[in-house]
Amino acid sequence: MGHEEEGTLAKRYFLLRRLHSLTGILPIGVFLIFHLTTNSSVLWGAANTRAHADDLPGRGIATFQHEVSFINNLPGLLIMEITLWAAIAFHAILGIWYATTGKSNTARYPHMDNRRYALQRLTGYIALLFILYHIATLRWGWSFLVPGGVTWGHEHAASTLALALRGSADSITVAGLAVSLFYFVGVTSAVFHFANGLWTAAITWGLTISTAAQRRWGVVCAGLGILLMAMAWGSVVGFLFTDPEKAREIESAMHPEEDSTEHTARATTDGAP
Amino acid sequence: MAASNAQQSGKRHIRLKILRQEAQDKLPRYETFDVQPEPGANVISCLQQIAARPVTASGEQSTPVAYDAGCLEEVCGACTMVINGRVRQSCSCLIDQIAPNDGDTITLEPMTKFPVIRDLWVDRSRLFHALKRTSSWVPIDSIYDRGPGPKELPDKQEPRYVLSTCMSCGCCLEACPQYNPRPDEKDWDEAFIGAHAISQVRLFNLHDTGKQLKSERLEALMGPGGVSDCGNAQNCVKVCPKEIPLTESIAAIGRAVTVHSIARWFTAR
Amino acid sequence: MSERRVIVVGGGLAGLAATIRIAEAGIPVDLFSMCPVKRSHSVCAQGGINAANDIARQQGYSEYQHFDETLLGGDFLADQAPVLEMANFAPRVIDLLDRMGVPFNRTTEGFRDLRLFGGSLFKRTHFAGATTGQQLLYALDEQTRRWEVEGKVRKYEFWEFLRPVLDELDPDDAIGHVHSDKRCVGIVAQDMRTMQIRSFRADAVIMATGGCGLIFGKSTNSVICTGGAASRCYQAGAWYANGEMIQVHPTAIPGADKCRLMSESARGEGGRIWVPRKADDDRKPTDIPEEERLYFLEEKYPKYGNLVPRDIASREIFDICINQDLGVAGQNQVFLDLTHKDPEELDRKLGGILEIYEKFVGDDPRKVPMRIFPAVHYSMGGLWTQYTQGDYDPHQPHGAHNPGDTPPIATEPGHGLKLGASNNMMTNIPGLYAFGEVNFAYHGATRLGANALLSCIFDGLYNGLSVVNAVRDAEFSAADAPQSIFDHAVADEQTKTDALLEGAGSGEIPDELNPYIIGLELGEEMTAASTVVKTGDRMRQAMTKLDELSDRCSRMKLNDAAAWSNRTLSYARSLQDMVVLAKVILKGGLQREESRGSHYRLDFPDRDDENFFKTTVAEHVPSNPDPIRIFYCNVDARLVEPRARSYGEKKAKPEQPPAQTAGAGA
Repeated sequence: MGHEEEGTLAKRYFLLRRLHSLTGILPIGVFLIFHLTTNSSVLWGAANTRAHADDLPGRGIATFQHEVSFINNLPGLLIMEITLWAAIAFHAILGIWYATTGKSNTARYPHMDNRRYALQRLTGYIALLFILYHIATLRWGWSFLVPGGVTWGHEHAASTLALALRGSADSITVAGLAVSLFYFVGVTSAVFHFANGLWTAAITWGLTISTAAQRRWGVVCAGLGILLMAMAWGSVVGFLFTDPEKAREIESAMHPEEDSTEHTARATTDGAP
Repeated sequence: MAASNAQQSGKRHIRLKILRQEAQDKLPRYETFDVQPEPGANVISCLQQIAARPVTASGEQSTPVAYDAGCLEEVCGACTMVINGRVRQSCSCLIDQIAPNDGDTITLEPMTKFPVIRDLWVDRSRLFHALKRTSSWVPIDSIYDRGPGPKELPDKQEPRYVLSTCMSCGCCLEACPQYNPRPDEKDWDEAFIGAHAISQVRLFNLHDTGKQLKSERLEALMGPGGVSDCGNAQNCVKVCPKEIPLTESIAAIGRAVTVHSIARWFTAR
Repeated sequence: MSERRVIVVGGGLAGLAATIRIAEAGIPVDLFSMCPVKRSHSVCAQGGINAANDIARQQGYSEYQHFDETLLGGDFLADQAPVLEMANFAPRVIDLLDRMGVPFNRTTEGFRDLRLFGGSLFKRTHFAGATTGQQLLYALDEQTRRWEVEGKVRKYEFWEFLRPVLDELDPDDAIGHVHSDKRCVGIVAQDMRTMQIRSFRADAVIMATGGCGLIFGKSTNSVICTGGAASRCYQAGAWYANGEMIQVHPTAIPGADKCRLMSESARGEGGRIWVPRKADDDRKPTDIPEEERLYFLEEKYPKYGNLVPRDIASREIFDICINQDLGVAGQNQVFLDLTHKDPEELDRKLGGILEIYEKFVGDDPRKVPMRIFPAVHYSMGGLWTQYTQGDYDPHQPHGAHNPGDTPPIATEPGHGLKLGASNNMMTNIPGLYAFGEVNFAYHGATRLGANALLSCIFDGLYNGLSVVNAVRDAEFSAADAPQSIFDHAVADEQTKTDALLEGAGSGEIPDELNPYIIGLELGEEMTAASTVVKTGDRMRQAMTKLDELSDRCSRMKLNDAAAWSNRTLSYARSLQDMVVLAKVILKGGLQREESRGSHYRLDFPDRDDENFFKTTVAEHVPSNPDPIRIFYCNVDARLVEPRARSYGEKKAKPEQPPAQTAGAGA
């Protein structure tokens, strides 16, 4: 009996640990890639010649708005969102629990890998705080946490986001700068956490065994990390320097009937990349 | 090279700053000693000097420093301690290398992950307990003569040999951020087992007879404190005095438990 | 009937092999060791383990020749029956270790690889990298752990053996040859951490406590090899045999804290020993041309070359440095050169030991010749043990056995020793056994390389059965021994401890009474007087010095009064016992007025079979003015006739050269 119980415990424990690893990649990591791709469209959208705008920044804004509208019209969006939130909650709770079992020692052993171990835990905490803030303010509408009190509206994606980061339509306020900085640190943490997690996951699951393979996969993960980091930083900077007034104009132009967004969005899908 | 080093160390002084603790329940404190290292001296020969005349740098009469030592050739693992903040064997720590100049200080501390018995001497029972937890042996039938063991090609023997040189010194555990003190023996079965034991599982699972216990070993490593508790800080492999590829062992066992759990899902009753 | 138990003292190869053997037979074992058993001194053995094997057999080698070589190596001082049994059993030991998972080096086809070792022209040494002892010990450690989990073995690690507990012997209960009126019923031991002293009962006690290198100060031994345990048995009445036979390893790396072994396998793999022909040649060794190098072993012993037995190699190196003043850089050191070999091959076959040199000296032996000098390495002497002869009983001893000759004796167990006889490797005290290095039985006057691991494991596996039988068959049980003898033994030891701690730790200690200083002096004196070259005068001088040291020991003051984990106390107590054993070694050497094996006397340079073809036995008689009583036992030489041990030295009498077969030479 005793042995059997142990076996069950081992199975459950192992399953939890592997689910923790898995959820970090799917859905969270994959979502992160899509999310950053969407957000950074405020920059790369400038190259989208079919966007409903004339100048380069405008094209970015329009492309971003188009992407957001597309996502918001996906069927079963709420279920997807709930799945994602659940995965994040699961990954976070277990992650915090696991993190408490370790005690970082980078002062004595200042190797790169050991520093990454410490950073993985630190970035996990930061990313979690950031994600909570990010979802609360931009999804659940806790506008009291946003300088300037703007509420996210997915019909006015770029403009509301720019307002949230700047703190005011006219200029970048101190509070706005603080929020932007928090965003900067938050996305940096999230991207590092994902890229490094992807590297360790390959060891955990036993995909990369030899030191050389671990090094090679490390290069791949670093490459992905750099790419995502560029998208993440680009998005933050892009929205920070987006003129909310102008953005609103472009967005409004894309939704002629304010209260039937769904219909309008469909009508403009010809700009889809 | 050696001769010139030896001549250099002729008549100079070095200072040993040693973290001492009379017993488990006593408070630790530092004590410093000045010694004149002999040519080719190592930390052990300095401790031997202190034992003969334990007078601190400030001239106070003290006691010999308690430490564990055995072969002094870095194959038994006994004399492991934290030297200048880094875990290693004190026998292979040459004074000329770690304190090349007159008046240099070397700090000696006991390992921090195990209970101190006295001074630099710690109780590493938990480390050996881990080898029980993972059935780290080849389950032979009996000692009676049954002819030779399984034939084995060098490409398997060679990696096995490397894994088998683990002397249970505990360096990998001392440097591991996931391996932390567990004074209560009852907690040992659920606390992180450490790289050495994971690597031993790989060793025994590689052996043709040893792999008879493969499932048991892997399941022991799937539970709390098993291989999933590794945080991939990879300090273990950097401090291993025998240069055992511990992180490769961890990854290999990671793969083995992945395969094992999937196979079990499909085949177990 | 109460449960029978066995105590094993010492967790090296011999102790662990015995533990496994006895636990497998169903008898619980209490295993005592001063260190976690995995850290025992056996880990230091580098080269390998000898056994006849299929390749060598096809070249005319046999178990019998292994036996013959071992005898010749030991200059015929070993009793022949146990050596025969060991050589015959050796292949089984290798097979078992192989089954236990020892990663023996392999040939490309997956067979166990072999190497050449001193004292043989055949490859008969099995090896696992350059850490064979470590690998064998780990295999046994793992099996012991398995029995520990099964509940058959209880380990007492960091416990120090203080003495055997002896009870009156009822003559009706005696087993084997009766040489004592006492029997062993347990031990007294001390927890080195808590300092608790307590007694343990056992129906048999196996001493597997190894050698006594620390008596010589800096040796190749681990710091735990004090010989204290053997000395304590000796002082309790066990006989000590051939103490003067101390092997000095020719190639060690001199160091500040100890001498580190450079395995004979370095020569087995082609290492050459040389010095510059010019005494003060200060060129870099690699710049000295071939013709200006003196390969003194190869010149003097063309057949065996660098692989002459250890005592000869040590003596020749000693002679070159001390008498001819040709030591490298005017110091006591010669070159051991591997630089002509392929570095990759060296790494594969010798990696571990080359790393040791690199690590502890700082030079790369693949590029620069190593500097080495002899150091005390192994004690052939040890506790005297008895045995029951096996069933082979020739009328006429044989002469030299040559390769290809049909072995006159088959290899099944039981021809040399009687398998399972209760008194095999039992000391003169019934119930007290000695296995491994602490047993004097196998190596005579010097030990062949790679035979030590064999004798240790052979003792444990083969003679473990004798202990099993003795314990099972005995009418008497240790459980019936009166408690009072245990209490007295504990009280005695407590008194000794208290006496040592009296006045400890108060103020500065004069060197004269400082145990660490006394230890240093003991080591220096013994190394100078009783190692490579001995003389009567020097040994007598040393004896006077030892008298002085034992007097100082009795007044010793400790610089640590702690009642917890006091290692100074442990050392001081061992030191007293080391001095006792040192005297036994010296007295045996003084009285053996001949040269034999590792015992080389300048004043008696020849072997004297007429007077000294005998085992030296020392008995402790405390009532005598000189408590060391030396007597001699005849050597059992019924199988092979002693012959000259020349190893083809050029000036020696010509002897029939063994037919060297293809592939067997170096």
